[in-house]
Amino acid sequence: MFIPHPLLQSILIPLTVAIVIAIVGKKLKEIAGWISCGALIYSTIILIVVGMKIWVNPTPIYEEYMWSELAGLKFGLLADGLSLPVALTANLICAVCAAYSIPYIRHRIELIYGNDDWGLYRFYFALYIFFAIGFTGISLSTNLIEMYLFVELVLIPFYFLMDLFGYIDRHRIAIMCFIWSHISAALFLIGAVLAYVKTGSFEVSALSSLTGMDALLICSFILVGWLVKMAVFGFHVWVPWVHAEHPTCIAAILATIVGLGNYVIVRLLVQHLFMIFKIFSIPLMIWALITMIYGAFLTLAQDDVKRLCACSTISQNAYSLLGIASCTALGVVGGVFYFISHIIGKCILFSVAGILVYRTGVRDMKRLGGLAGKMPLTAALFVIGAMILSAIPPLSGFQAEWIMFVGIFRQGFQGSVIGLLVAIIGIFATFLTLIYTFWPIKRIFFGPLPDELKNVKKAPLVMTIPLLILAILSIILGIYPDILMKFLNSAISIS
Amino acid sequence: MFEILKMFYAPWICWVSPFIGSILSLFIGGEEDVKLKGVITSTFTGISWIMALLMLPDVLKPRLRDIWIGWITLPYGEPIKAGVLLDPLSIIIVNIVSFISLLVMVYSIKYMEGEYGQARYWSLMSLFVGGMLLLVLADNFIFFFIGWKVVGFCSYALIGHYYRDERKYWIGGPPPHPFEKPSICGLKALIVTSLGDVAMLAGILIIYLYAGTFNFLTLISTTNIWMAKMAANPGILTLTTILLLGGPIAKSAQFPLHVWLPEAMAGPAPVSALIHAATMVKAGVFIVARLFPIFFNGYWINGFSEAFNFFPIIALLVALTAFITAANAMVSLELKKILAYSTMSQIGYMMLSLGVAGMSVNATITGYVGGLYHLLSHALFKAALFLCAGLVIHMTGSIYIHDKGLNRKYTPMTWIFMWLSALSLAGVPPFSGFWSKDEILMACINAGQYGLFLVALLTAGITCFYSIRMMGYIFHLRSNEFKEGHDEPKLMWIPFGILSSLTLIIGLMGYQLGAILHDTFREYFVNVLGISSMASAHVSTSLTKIITPSLSIIMLLIAGTPAYIFYISHKMDSWKLVNRNAILRILHKILWNRWYIDKFYTATFVKGLHLARPMIQKYIEDPIDFSLNVGVPKLFAVMYSGLRKIQTGIASINMLYILIFLTSIVMIILVVI
Repeated sequence: MFIPHPLLQSILIPLTVAIVIAIVGKKLKEIAGWISCGALIYSTIILIVVGMKIWVNPTPIYEEYMWSELAGLKFGLLADGLSLPVALTANLICAVCAAYSIPYIRHRIELIYGNDDWGLYRFYFALYIFFAIGFTGISLSTNLIEMYLFVELVLIPFYFLMDLFGYIDRHRIAIMCFIWSHISAALFLIGAVLAYVKTGSFEVSALSSLTGMDALLICSFILVGWLVKMAVFGFHVWVPWVHAEHPTCIAAILATIVGLGNYVIVRLLVQHLFMIFKIFSIPLMIWALITMIYGAFLTLAQDDVKRLCACSTISQNAYSLLGIASCTALGVVGGVFYFISHIIGKCILFSVAGILVYRTGVRDMKRLGGLAGKMPLTAALFVIGAMILSAIPPLSGFQAEWIMFVGIFRQGFQGSVIGLLVAIIGIFATFLTLIYTFWPIKRIFFGPLPDELKNVKKAPLVMTIPLLILAILSIILGIYPDILMKFLNSAISIS
Repeated sequence: MFEILKMFYAPWICWVSPFIGSILSLFIGGEEDVKLKGVITSTFTGISWIMALLMLPDVLKPRLRDIWIGWITLPYGEPIKAGVLLDPLSIIIVNIVSFISLLVMVYSIKYMEGEYGQARYWSLMSLFVGGMLLLVLADNFIFFFIGWKVVGFCSYALIGHYYRDERKYWIGGPPPHPFEKPSICGLKALIVTSLGDVAMLAGILIIYLYAGTFNFLTLISTTNIWMAKMAANPGILTLTTILLLGGPIAKSAQFPLHVWLPEAMAGPAPVSALIHAATMVKAGVFIVARLFPIFFNGYWINGFSEAFNFFPIIALLVALTAFITAANAMVSLELKKILAYSTMSQIGYMMLSLGVAGMSVNATITGYVGGLYHLLSHALFKAALFLCAGLVIHMTGSIYIHDKGLNRKYTPMTWIFMWLSALSLAGVPPFSGFWSKDEILMACINAGQYGLFLVALLTAGITCFYSIRMMGYIFHLRSNEFKEGHDEPKLMWIPFGILSSLTLIIGLMGYQLGAILHDTFREYFVNVLGISSMASAHVSTSLTKIITPSLSIIMLLIAGTPAYIFYISHKMDSWKLVNRNAILRILHKILWNRWYIDKFYTATFVKGLHLARPMIQKYIEDPIDFSLNVGVPKLFAVMYSGLRKIQTGIASINMLYILIFLTSIVMIILVVI
C-alpha cells in the first residue's frame, strides 16, 4: 500500500481540516466535532500504516522538504522505531479525547456561557487539532528549529482552551501555564541556537559532533528546558493547577506534553550526546526519585479527583525519567515504553475523572461514593487505568515497569552504593502508586451511595467506548509487548 | 494424536482455559439466566482439571519438560520465552488447584444465588483460577510473576465483592469491638500483598542481572556460575533472599505481612475457600518449593555460605507465625476468622518443613515431601471447612460461633463432614492431616532442629484445641433448642462432602502415599535435578518413626481433653475460668488483639498517612507553589511599579537623566579605550 508522503500528510491533513472547521464550522455544530475526530483518526491510520512498514522492514522512513534556503533549514520528518510509536500513541490519544470531548465541551459551554453565539464549539475543535499536529511534529522532526516550532505550536491551543473552557480561576491559570511552557521552550531554544553556533547546523544529527564545554552547556540548556516541562520536583508546581482547572477533555493531552520530554531527551541527548548525558545520570536519577516519592505523597494528599490525576502525572513521569537517566539500553527502552503506557493509562483515568465531573458535578472525593452501581463501565475503566499505572499484569504497565527496572538495577549494580540505593528505593516507590490509585477507587466507587448522587446517570457511550479501545490496546501491549519492543529495540543501540 | 495432546497442549490448555471462561462468562448469560455464567466457568475449570489429570501419570516417572514459545525480545541478551514447566511439583499442585477450584465453582452456583454482581464474580473467579494455574505452570520468573499479580488482583476484587458495604457484610466485632467494611478489607489485602510483590520483583531482577536468565531450569543448572558472582559481593545474596522472600511471606500471610488474611474473610465463603485456603495462599509455598533447589544447590553443592540464609529465615519466621496465629484462633469468636488464623498457622507448617529441609541434608526429602503432603492435606480439609462454614453462616445467619448453634439432627451432612475435616486439621490419625503433620515433625527431628520441633508440636496441640472448640460451639451447645430444620442443598454439601471424604480416604492410605511421594521426590532430586545423592542418603531411623507419631498423639490428648471438657461435654465453663484468673484475662486480651501487630500497623501507617496528608500540602507544596507562582510575579510587579516611579513627566528630571546617561557613556568609552 503506497501512500504518497505519509508523514507530511499526517501533519497537513489535520491542519487543513482545522482551518476548514474554523471557517465554516459554525453551521456544522456537532458534526464539527466528528470531523475533527475523523481527521485525527485518519492521521492515526496513516501512522499505523507507516508503522507496519517499519515493522516489516526496520529501515526508518525519512521525508525531507526544503524550508529555508537562506538558513539552510530543511523540514525533515523521520519515522523510526523510536519516533513512530510515540507519534502514533499521541495521535491515538488525541483522537480518543476528541471523541470524548464532543458531549463534554457542549456541557462546558452551556455551563460557562449559557449559549454558543460565538461559535466556541468549532473553535475548540479547530484549535484542538493543533495539539495532535504539535505532537506528531515534535516526534517526527529532525531539526531543532522545527522541533521548537511544534513545541510552541502546542502552546497556542493550550492557552486558548484553558482560558475559554477551564474551571474556576481559568484566566490566571491559563497565563500561568503559558508562561511556564514558554520559558521552558525558550531555554530549549537557547540550547538549539548555541548548537547552531557551534556546529553550523540545526539538524539533530549534528549534535553528535559537539564536544567538551560546549556540549555540556547545550546539554544543560536542553535538559533544564525540558525538565521544566516534565514537572520534576521544584518545577512541578504548575502541574496541579493546570491539570486541575483545565477542561478534562484535554487532560490526557497535557499528560502527553509533560511526558514528551522523555522522548525528546532520548532523541537528542541519549542518541547524540550520550557521553555528556552520562555525567547527568546519577543526579538525574536522584532527582527523579525525589520527584517520584514526593509526587506519590502529594497525590495521596489530594481530595479533588482531578488534582489527584494531575499529581499522579508528576510521579509517573518521573518513573520514565528514572529509567532514561539510568543510561542503560533496557532502562531507556523501558522508560519510553513506560511513558507510552502511562499516557494511555492516564488518558483513561483523567477521562473517567471528567466523566465523574460531567455526570455528578462533584469533584471532591469526600462527597463521592458508591458510584460503581450507577456507572459500572466507568468504574471498570477506572480500575483498568489504576492497574495500568500500578503495573498489574496483564496490562502494559507491568511489562514496561519490569523492563525499565532491569536497566535501573543494572546501573545500580555498576559499583556505586548510591546507584543501588536509588534502584531499590525506586522499586519500592512503585508500591505507593498502588495506594494512591486503588484507595480513590474505594472512595469514589465503593461504599454507600450518598443522597445527592442518587440520580446520576451512566456515562454516554461516546465517552466510554474510546476509552475501552485504549484499555484493549493496553491489554494487547501487556500480553504481547513485542509489538512495541521491536520498534524500540531497533532504535536504541547503546550499551 | 492423543499423545500429542497430552505431551504438548495439555498444560497450555490447562491454564488458558479458565481465562477463556472468564471472558465468555462476562458476555453470556443475562439478568434472567445468571446461573449460565456459573455453568460456563465451571465447564472451563473442568476442562483444566481434565488436562491436569492427563498430566498426572508423569508424576510417577518424574522428569522435567519445558515447553515454550517466543515472547519478548530485549535490546540485547536472549529473548524471554513464555513456557510451561512440568515436573512433579507443578503437576501435583495443578491437580490440587484445578480439582478444588472445580468443586468450589459448583458450590458457588448455589451459594451465590440471588446475590448481586454475579457477572463480576464469575469472571473474576475464573480469571483467578487461570492466574493460579499460570503461576504454577510457568517456567520463568516473569511469566510466573504475571500469574502471581493476577491472583493478587482477583483476590482484591473478590474480597471486596460486596462493594456497597452493607451492614450485614461487615466483619469484626462483636460489639463493642470495631467492624471492618468489605471494601477496606479488599484494599488492605491488595496493599499488604503488593508490598511483598514489589520486594519479590526486586529480588527477581537482581537475580536476572547476575544470571542473565529468568528460566527456572536454567537457574538451577547454572547456579554455580551466577551464584558465584553474587557471593563475591558480600551481602548481596542475603539481600536478594530477603527481597525474594517478601513475596511468599505476604501472599501466604506469614509474619510480618500476615495482617490481611483475617480481614479477607469479608468476601463470600467460596472466595475464602478457594483463594484464602486452598490456592492463592499456597502460591507462596509453591514458589519457595520452586526456589528450594536453587538455594540448596547453592549451599550444599557449591558451598556459597550466604545461600544458606534462605532456609533459617523462612523456618524461623513461619514457625513464629504458626504459633502466634494458632494462639489467636483459640480465642476468636468469628467462624471464618478461626479458619483464617488456622490457615496461616498451617501454611507456617508447610514452609517450616521446606525450611528445615534445606537446613540439613538428613531432612531434605522428608522436609520437602512433608511440605507438599501437608499442602495437599490442608487444601482438602481447609477448603471443606470453609465451604461448610459458608453453609453454617448461611443457615444461622450469624458470622459468630457463640451466637447461635446448629442442631446436628437437622444438619447431618454438614455435621459429619465438618467433623471429618476438623479432625484432619487437628491431626488425628488416620486422617491425612495426621500423616502430613507427622512428616513435618520428623523432618524437624531429622534436621536436628529440636527447638522448631517443640514449637511445631506445641502448635499442633493448640490446633487440636481450637478445632474441637470450634466444633463444640457450632454443633454441641448445651441447649439444643434449635428445632428448626435447614435444608442442605445438594450443590453445596456434595462438594465439601467429596473433599472431606478424600481427606479420610487419603489418610487411610496415608503411610503408602507418603512412601510414594518420598520415592518420587528422591528420584526427582537425584536423577532429574542432578542434585547429588547426598540429599537422599538419610532415612529416618525407626526410633524417630515411632517417637514423632507418639508424641503428636500424646499432644493431641493433652490439648484435646480440656477442649472436650469445655466445649463438648460442658463439664467446665471456659469463660468462668478465664475471668477468675488475672493472667488468663491478660493473655486473652493479647490474643484477642492479635498480639497488637495489626493495631501497630494501623496506627503507624494508616493513621500516620492521614496525619501527613494535609501537612504535605501545607508545608511543602504550598511554599514552593507560592514562591514560584505568586512570589515571582510579585517580584516583577514590585520592580515595574518601582520603575514607573522614575518615569516622571517633569522636564527637569528628564534632563537630569539624559545628563547622567551621557556622562556614564563617556566614562565607559574612556575606560575601555
